[in-house]
Amino acid sequence: MAILLSFDIDGTLEVGDPPGGITMEMVRRAYEAGYLIASCSDRALSSQKAMWARYNIPAVFTASKHQLPNMRAAITADAYYHIGDRDTDEQIAAENGFGFWWNHEGVSEPWLTLQTPHGVQTPGGEDVSG
Amino acid sequence: MARETGWERSRDPVGIWEHRGKVALASRGHAPTDRRWDGVSMDKTLGAYTIIAANAAIEDAGIKPSDIDGIITSPGGQPGGAPIGDTWGPVRPYFAPPYNTEDGLTQVTGEWLARQMGLKNVRYFNSHGDTIWNLIGLAAQCVGDGRCNVALVTYPTGNLEGRYHRNPDTRVRGPAQWSSPWGWGLSGQGFTFEQYCRKYGSNHDRMAPFVVQEHKNGLLWPGSYYAQHEPQPFTTEDYLNGRWIAQNLSIFDCDRPVNTAAAYIVTTAERARDMRHKPVYILDHTESTFQPRSLVQDLDDTEAFCKVQAERSYAGSGLRPKDIDIFLPYDGFAVFTQYFIEAFRWRGVNKGEAHDLYAMDITPQGPNPLNTGGGNMGTGRMRTAFFSDPIEQIQGRAGARQAKKAEIAVTHGVLPGNAATIVMSSTPG
Repeated sequence: MAILLSFDIDGTLEVGDPPGGITMEMVRRAYEAGYLIASCSDRALSSQKAMWARYNIPAVFTASKHQLPNMRAAITADAYYHIGDRDTDEQIAAENGFGFWWNHEGVSEPWLTLQTPHGVQTPGGEDVSG
Repeated sequence: MARETGWERSRDPVGIWEHRGKVALASRGHAPTDRRWDGVSMDKTLGAYTIIAANAAIEDAGIKPSDIDGIITSPGGQPGGAPIGDTWGPVRPYFAPPYNTEDGLTQVTGEWLARQMGLKNVRYFNSHGDTIWNLIGLAAQCVGDGRCNVALVTYPTGNLEGRYHRNPDTRVRGPAQWSSPWGWGLSGQGFTFEQYCRKYGSNHDRMAPFVVQEHKNGLLWPGSYYAQHEPQPFTTEDYLNGRWIAQNLSIFDCDRPVNTAAAYIVTTAERARDMRHKPVYILDHTESTFQPRSLVQDLDDTEAFCKVQAERSYAGSGLRPKDIDIFLPYDGFAVFTQYFIEAFRWRGVNKGEAHDLYAMDITPQGPNPLNTGGGNMGTGRMRTAFFSDPIEQIQGRAGARQAKKAEIAVTHGVLPGNAATIVMSSTPG
């Protein structure tokens, strides 16, 4: 079961500007649990890549916010989620079939409960298995 | 004092400035550059940062605080000295003095600064300056007119939230129904840029060499936000993948809001010769303000505005395009910089040709040193690279950014419709 987690950075991750509540340790935990990790942010792509390199977490993509649909097409997964702090994040997630968590919801690492014996569940409970 | 008007050199023919070469920029000083103020650290308020910048400028000039006899400032950095973002109060409680009003938090007046710094010999205050180009023009005129001899000129650019100008409204009424579809206010620059590209056969991708070079230059300027906080290179790939804010206006055409302050010493040429660094003589300042013919400023308006101001500047300084070694046109929205380059005909660039210039060598050491300090794109929205860099260039201390020939530098901003031009020189002319 491949589940992709796309993180906004500024206002969402602890290394963002402003810092968000989701720590890089939480992201690493998800990576080590087998989730596909990515970022989708208004930050320059080189800045996103530098961040992942700094934390030695391989990202399956780095994208600008308007590029999320391209990334969904390029990366095969069973379910897709985006985590962010802005209306823009919620909008692009909804438009592109990503489940969505607000940054403050992500602090409780809700993705860790996704892989259930019954499949993949969205934050709202609906099945988004790809 | 009340806001003074009429000092601007904005009536044609302006003629050669009466104080040409008799006023000089002697030094610059900067505070650290942050993304925002956290609302807690009282050593990082806009007021605290302005004091840091002022002391740095005084030290850089090799003078004593007691030498300052004038303070000229734009308290919030915007026209009329207004802050660009939110005010602190009244929704949030103020702090103990000296932070018991907006003064010191989201604006910094000369009077507040003098009190905090104990500047006892100031006899001239002007806390009604506009954006940095108009502010330096105002200071030059005041010193030339003898209102003060050693002016401390401060330019705080505050930022509480990190973002500003957000409009939560989902409906528009009245004239805004015609402009809001293009996005917030000056997002309409994307519309004008589209007209430019259609008329002259260019496209947005051709902006990339300019913006990328500005980022390179900015990383070489210590005052830059990016040099201090995000030192990795900004690439062509980065630029071309930027999200549209409005069509033809990318997020990477918009300067990043920052929280910082800068200060300058403007004095008589005679007095400047006794200071630490060699004088940067001011040969001219000119100003202009225009209104578009309609609700949205179009390309014809924009080119007409810029042409008037460029011709006014040349008439005021007595210079010609080939005399300018370093050109520093504003880039707060990078998509309007080409109008300034073309109006000034710098390096022989005519209408529709600026993007060809971007494709040439525009490095500081090359034949076309353009925005050698990085502009706003390469430094953040502080606007002061447009003065601190040419000061360092002309004084021969720009380090890795040093241009081969830096005798005449011209900077121009802030907008096509509201602009001032300052001409700086290594000699009094």
